[in-house]
Amino acid sequence: MRLALRELRRRPGRFAVATVILTLIALLLMFLGGLLDGLLASSTGAYRAQEADLVVYSSEARDSLVRSRIDGDVRADVEGVEGVAAVGGLGSVQLGGRPGGDPGSKDLVATVLFGYELAPRGLPDVAPPQGTVVADAALQAEGVDAGTTLLLGPARTPVRVTGFVDDTRYSGQGSLWGSLGTWRAVTRANRPGEAVGDDVVQALVVRTEGAAGVPAAIDAATEGATDSLTVAGAIEALPGVSEQRATFNQIIGVTVVVALVVVALFFALITVERTALYGILKAIGASGPTLFVGVVTQAVVVTLLASAVGAGAAVSLDAAIPPGAIPFEATTGRLTSSVILLLVAAVAGCAFSLRRVLRVDPASAIGTGG
Amino acid sequence: MFLAVREMRRAVVRFGLLVLAIALLVFLILAQQALQEGLLTAFVGGIRNQSAPVLVYSVDGQRALQGSIIPPPLEEAVRRTDGVGEAARLGQSTFTVREPDGSLSDAAIVGADVAGLATPTALSSGARPEVAGEAVGSDADFDLRDEVTVPAAGPSAEPVTLTVVGLAADVQLNVTPTLFTDLATYEAAVRASNPDATEVLPNAIAVRPAPGVEVDELTERLSAASPEADALTRSEAADESPGVAQVRQSFQVIFLLYGLVVPLVTGLFFLIVTLQKSGALTLLRAMGARGSVLARSLLFQVVVIVGLGLVVGVALYASLTRVDLGFLTLRFDPTAVLVWSVLLMALGLGSALVAVRRVLRIDPVEATTGGGGG
Repeated sequence: MRLALRELRRRPGRFAVATVILTLIALLLMFLGGLLDGLLASSTGAYRAQEADLVVYSSEARDSLVRSRIDGDVRADVEGVEGVAAVGGLGSVQLGGRPGGDPGSKDLVATVLFGYELAPRGLPDVAPPQGTVVADAALQAEGVDAGTTLLLGPARTPVRVTGFVDDTRYSGQGSLWGSLGTWRAVTRANRPGEAVGDDVVQALVVRTEGAAGVPAAIDAATEGATDSLTVAGAIEALPGVSEQRATFNQIIGVTVVVALVVVALFFALITVERTALYGILKAIGASGPTLFVGVVTQAVVVTLLASAVGAGAAVSLDAAIPPGAIPFEATTGRLTSSVILLLVAAVAGCAFSLRRVLRVDPASAIGTGG
Repeated sequence: MFLAVREMRRAVVRFGLLVLAIALLVFLILAQQALQEGLLTAFVGGIRNQSAPVLVYSVDGQRALQGSIIPPPLEEAVRRTDGVGEAARLGQSTFTVREPDGSLSDAAIVGADVAGLATPTALSSGARPEVAGEAVGSDADFDLRDEVTVPAAGPSAEPVTLTVVGLAADVQLNVTPTLFTDLATYEAAVRASNPDATEVLPNAIAVRPAPGVEVDELTERLSAASPEADALTRSEAADESPGVAQVRQSFQVIFLLYGLVVPLVTGLFFLIVTLQKSGALTLLRAMGARGSVLARSLLFQVVVIVGLGLVVGVALYASLTRVDLGFLTLRFDPTAVLVWSVLLMALGLGSALVAVRRVLRIDPVEATTGGGGG
């Protein structure tokens, strides 16, 4: 292993191009993963923030919040189910917001207004009073501050921002959180086609006492009028979430295979070049496995170096991309998993050279004169 | 050439790995190109391939058809604008629909109140709707005579049934099966799904310019007609839909990175191979082989390896485009294949120039002095 490390130190040029290629592949992996994380974070935050166990939609909504409609009778049925600890209504409407001082502005902020009863993480237990909202912190990049009045929709319905909450974006937009009354009034004024009655909400958020059968019990109690999902299930059912995850993971998988092939190719070539050297080393007592460990060590070092540069580039990219442009997030988890995938690919790639290293015959290698 | 072919035959694994790496990269690039095109078509094909040259949104809609709402004063301002030939109220929303077997699925329904305006520009089969309840459907999702019903959301609502009488290609919206019908049917669908709806306003006004009026000129006039109006040409409406630009930017970064990896891998491979056999190359030079012959031999290998990689990669891509992904249509794009093949071959040959330079610099005298060994 010492020899392998010394070679890396004394002949870095030999490994430079392979390191550059692996750096690009590392950056690709991290960019693809970061893109997926950014997309998912910006579309699922409002659900991830729910401090509840279940989300209940009307059964014909096909798990779509905007198409779901639950009236007071269905809600009463849900509240009566054994194991249900608390039930809250949830409603949403997506609208453009203008700064209060400029109702004629064409520079709009994309928002989604939620009305809630059961507080998600970071929000007050009692929803803000009529006409006031707590905004997602992402909206600060759009010039929204505490005390800002936003004029929502074509009706310019005013809502005043009283504070901020982190990581609750939904459908790629910054969220505003208010009472169900605020949501109903804003919807009625701006989207009469989506207006709902006073006892109607789009979905119910349910806290349970922990029993596993509660979702089925709720759907049975409402005679099939509802479709109850765990919060994780509701996130997965959001439009595009599972498709995006599957597509990106497939692309990431093939990119890891490319990394494996590149490492295999590079170290196969290096091994061919070193056949005579390995012969001499074997002749003076080095075992095949020892030599192979050296190859693996070099692959790991090159991969770690490439990963470090790739991760640095990914973090810089994350900082450089302006808000609202590419939805990219370089998270520690994603960078770590990308490095692990690359290391696995590197070690697996080296295995292609294993047979050649073990097969080197010290006698014939010395005989050829190296 | 004989030596070049012989060398490749004798080192099948090494050259095979390079072919595999290039093939996978080519496949990834082409698959993602198809994915980008498929995604964008599924997102905004219904806008790009509809017949109205101009769409007027409300500024509030932020160029999202479903997000735009046209209040009556804005509609009047649009209709009064000089140069407007025909104008149709256009409604669009996504609904849960029940199929004849009772299963539920999603469908985007687009309704317009002027026949032939804001409908698919061409039909792949069937006919245009003639009566309420008939629709043209996206041909990736529907067959002729298919029936779907928007179920009633309450006892006070009436279900609405749509019958597919015509089919059109690439007319999906929001990656959802899409139906084009008349406005009255659309409005009935909205009321079926939400009996509390107080009023069903159009999402946009579809406009055809009067004879002699240019589309760009009319969009400028329409945008100036009201501070609430955001008039866009058909292609602008498609390209500036929320998310479209981000999808393009994201894929461009991905293509750039993959495009860089291919020549680097090829260049690295041939540089190492050249270094490894520099002793043999020196000997060949000493025996009278010209440097240009050896360089041509190396470039021949590059062409063969990159060419094989391209063939395998394109074959994998062609297989992928035959797979039914359900929500998305991935098409084999000969132009993309041609462009990427030429580009990657050029980059591959370009990257091998370092190795070629090394071959050309070999001094035959080194064969007699023991140089050139690596």
